[in-house]
Amino acid sequence: MIEVVPSICSYCGVGCGLGLRVQGDRIIGVEPQSGHPVSQGQLCAKGWSTSFAVDPAQRLVHPLIKERGAFREAGWDETLDLVAEKFREALADGGPTAVGVISCARATNEDNYAAQKFARAVLKTHNIDHCARICHSPSVAGLARTLGSGAMTNGIVDIDLADLILVIGADVTENHAMIGARILRAQDRGAKLIVVDPRKTRLARLADWHLQLRLGTNIALINGLLHIIFAQGWEARDFLDRRCADADALRRHVAGIALDEVVALTGVPEDQLRAVAHAYSHAKAAFLAYGMGITQFQSGTNNVIAVSNLALSCGQIGRPGTGINPLRGQNNVQGACDMGCLPNVFPGYQDVADPAHAAKFTQAWNTSLPTAPGLTSLGMTKAALAGDFRALMILGEDPVLTDPDQNHVARSLAALDFLVVVETAMTETAKLADVVLPAAAFAEKDGSFTNCERRVQRVRRAVPPPGEARTDWQILGALAQRLGQPGLRWPDAEAIFDEMVGLSPMFSAMSYAKLDRHHGLQWPCDGEHPEGSPLLHAERFPLGKARLLPVSQVAPAEVPDADYPFAFTTHRLHFHYGCGSMTRRSPLLERETPTGLLFMHPDDGRGMGLREGQGVRVSSRRGVLETRVHLTDDVPAGTVAMPYHFKEAPCNRLTNDAQDPSTKMPELKACAVAVTALPPGQAPRRLEFDEPAHERL
Amino acid sequence: MNAYELNSVEALRAHLAADRRLYEPRPDGQGGLHWQTVAADDAQAFEPGLEPPPFSAKAFFFPEREAMFRFERGRFVAVEPEPEAFTLFGLRACDLTAIAYQDRFFARDGHYQARREAALLVGMDCAASCTGGFCAALGSGPAVGDGLADLVLIPGASWRLLVNTAAGRAAVSGLDLKPAPRDWTRAREQTRQQAAAEQGDAAPLLAGIAALNAGRVPPQTWEALGPRCLGCSGCTSVCPTCSCFAPLDLPTDGGLRRERVWDSCLYEGFQKEASGHNGSPSPGDRVRRYWFHKFGDGFKREFGRYGCVGCGRCDRVCPGGIGARVVLKRLGGA
Repeated sequence: MIEVVPSICSYCGVGCGLGLRVQGDRIIGVEPQSGHPVSQGQLCAKGWSTSFAVDPAQRLVHPLIKERGAFREAGWDETLDLVAEKFREALADGGPTAVGVISCARATNEDNYAAQKFARAVLKTHNIDHCARICHSPSVAGLARTLGSGAMTNGIVDIDLADLILVIGADVTENHAMIGARILRAQDRGAKLIVVDPRKTRLARLADWHLQLRLGTNIALINGLLHIIFAQGWEARDFLDRRCADADALRRHVAGIALDEVVALTGVPEDQLRAVAHAYSHAKAAFLAYGMGITQFQSGTNNVIAVSNLALSCGQIGRPGTGINPLRGQNNVQGACDMGCLPNVFPGYQDVADPAHAAKFTQAWNTSLPTAPGLTSLGMTKAALAGDFRALMILGEDPVLTDPDQNHVARSLAALDFLVVVETAMTETAKLADVVLPAAAFAEKDGSFTNCERRVQRVRRAVPPPGEARTDWQILGALAQRLGQPGLRWPDAEAIFDEMVGLSPMFSAMSYAKLDRHHGLQWPCDGEHPEGSPLLHAERFPLGKARLLPVSQVAPAEVPDADYPFAFTTHRLHFHYGCGSMTRRSPLLERETPTGLLFMHPDDGRGMGLREGQGVRVSSRRGVLETRVHLTDDVPAGTVAMPYHFKEAPCNRLTNDAQDPSTKMPELKACAVAVTALPPGQAPRRLEFDEPAHERL
Repeated sequence: MNAYELNSVEALRAHLAADRRLYEPRPDGQGGLHWQTVAADDAQAFEPGLEPPPFSAKAFFFPEREAMFRFERGRFVAVEPEPEAFTLFGLRACDLTAIAYQDRFFARDGHYQARREAALLVGMDCAASCTGGFCAALGSGPAVGDGLADLVLIPGASWRLLVNTAAGRAAVSGLDLKPAPRDWTRAREQTRQQAAAEQGDAAPLLAGIAALNAGRVPPQTWEALGPRCLGCSGCTSVCPTCSCFAPLDLPTDGGLRRERVWDSCLYEGFQKEASGHNGSPSPGDRVRRYWFHKFGDGFKREFGRYGCVGCGRCDRVCPGGIGARVVLKRLGGA
């Protein structure tokens, strides 16, 4: 007998509807949800392969305690007692600044609410963060400065209403496939498509214009467009007057830019710049979307500000079909931010430094709260390396594989007195832990996810968790109890949601029943917007008037030179997701791209005498790995690229942790590498994690 | 074949559901329309709507994941399905045509046949065309073809019921059914023609099929379609006649379990050989290959009809907008 349970896909931030096909206690497949507002009955390869990702055969099913270097199975009571004891020791030893929690952008809002409450109300620290740090923290910071709010300003449905779509640094058909598909359909009905990307992505190949800029020249390119727009008088003067402050500073700044320098820097011909400047500024409704190709630079926040300058100058915001739309990576990275899994805010972006907010949460949670500012995840890493950090809990993330400069991350985790990892599968990070706790996957719990267009949607328990796995919030509640805080023992997920709603004005009109009735609701959803808010900033910006902030081109921290002659960038593949812990369980997706690859232009390959698929050694100042070369004009000559899904060829051994000064976003998108050929026929060595790369190769 | 007046479809459904598990497509309130179990005492009215469920009935017979054998202590142990008897209530003509097609493909497949023998098929003529369906062009609807279902529901001013098979007759025994008036076929034919007409001119679609089989489709057409295929596997998953599968070995305590799982020929890895050679190396090649399998005359000779039944599901599920209807029109030069 088959049952179908409606839920939300657990991969990317698009938030597609899917029906989980349940047979007994197993999910054997998925069905599309034809009436779902986001996905309209379609799914990508990852969504279709969901059953493999949650298969109990390959899951963690017992708590594990490491003894003499090896894990042994243990009961929940014994394990939780041990974790509580270790946190007590760490707190006694180093105080609350020496402990922290890294939460999970793939877990539910309810799990994330519990994680930040655990950090703040139980451990008494604001050391709570998650991987938004390495995807869209510059969006949050940059748009906070220009608009006052950092999420997608419009909805996915706005793509249907745009007559022009501008995509900057996002491989949408591969990473946010249902948004990419919607863009293709928009183009079919006559909308113009512009793609700005150093790689020839699928969308770039299909676009009306592809501006193939040189890696890391986003600000130069956007300033060049603005120079043309203001010089020609194509800016939206009325919008600038009514809705923006200080346009003159930007106007003067871009007037001083020499277009031939922009052309030289970006490699984009002037006629293309002019055509795109004209098209974007003259479109009736232009939908601007961007991704990691904007944020993952040391200039990430300024890149976002440049994007914002462009949209504001042309008045392409605050109306249907327009907007500044950061595409978020994880199914619930928006929600993890919204729930306050950030060191500086309580749920609903309520500043922890604001005494009124602190007083509200102190009263509601009936406990004292910390006053010291919290650390970001990279801050915790650094503190651990400096010997100032004792104990860390990581929920469902694999920073060893996905964070920059892996050796550094692994060393910092090794420097902790105690590491507990809550996971569904034995990841590279979990292998380094002292204790591993088995977590329930999304199909095994009730809760909610928030997609990139701010839509809070319900997920439902379709099957019981395998073995002894529990939800994150249940684990945190039991642990909190042992640490003397009973306030995390909720009866069910809905009780957590209701507690969160009661404390977060931007969610105040939401309930599970309402989410069910409306296919989810987009925040803010409050007394003023009881049905949610598909479109932001129609009348005013959170800042009142938006700000145009002049920014200047900043080169990547590391550029090619004689020793490391190739520009190196990272990207994702349609068939894989994150560290691969879910997608690589599908025999079909794994067959598509079974190992890591180095994408290289055929001219470069010829220059080095490389054949398709030949083994290569890739090295940067931080590490070295071996993989196979794939010769393709997806990348321009002089630039090579690697996807980051593959633990046997982990490109983050190479990437640079130079950081954006305001958000600590590492520069994952650009560094310099050297490539040498392995002898023909010699297979690349697959790296193991317990040995540093430098010593081995 | 006998035709009867049917005063209450719900009464028939309750009668059938009393004997065996009965599935009917129903909305889930969250945008989905799925085959769901209906109990004998379920009072909800039978309101099939115009749209077929996005997921065909294929998975009832050829599940997307199915254990084939276990390997334990050095021995292979076959896993045989033991299906309980069930009824599919309200199958459209397109899906019934597809089941007949699959019956030929899986004729010697024990797993498929065991499930198939456990099933009672209750078909239903479409009162009007769904959006995007083109079954009339391919001879698979909108009325249920002869011999494809045990029972057939015929919509109209009032419902009528056709009893086609011995199994159907046995299933309705005990119901008080009055024969339909002699001219019941005329009303049925009228509905069929009307629903078929709603699907529009079939000529552009047939021109596409003709162009494909005459080799008149230039390679550029396929290469232009290629990048629009994201390799999502949606079309092959929802296609009621797709039948490709791949092995998946899952470790068990001291052994393994072999499953067969739905595969998709749109994946690059589908035809890749151990040497690295790929029979369909480019996305355009794979799209071409797929549509040849649906509309190639060679397959028609082997299976008695084209592999496509015109249900329109691939057009709805394809993120790149290159389902059958779109592709055929493009191939035909429309």
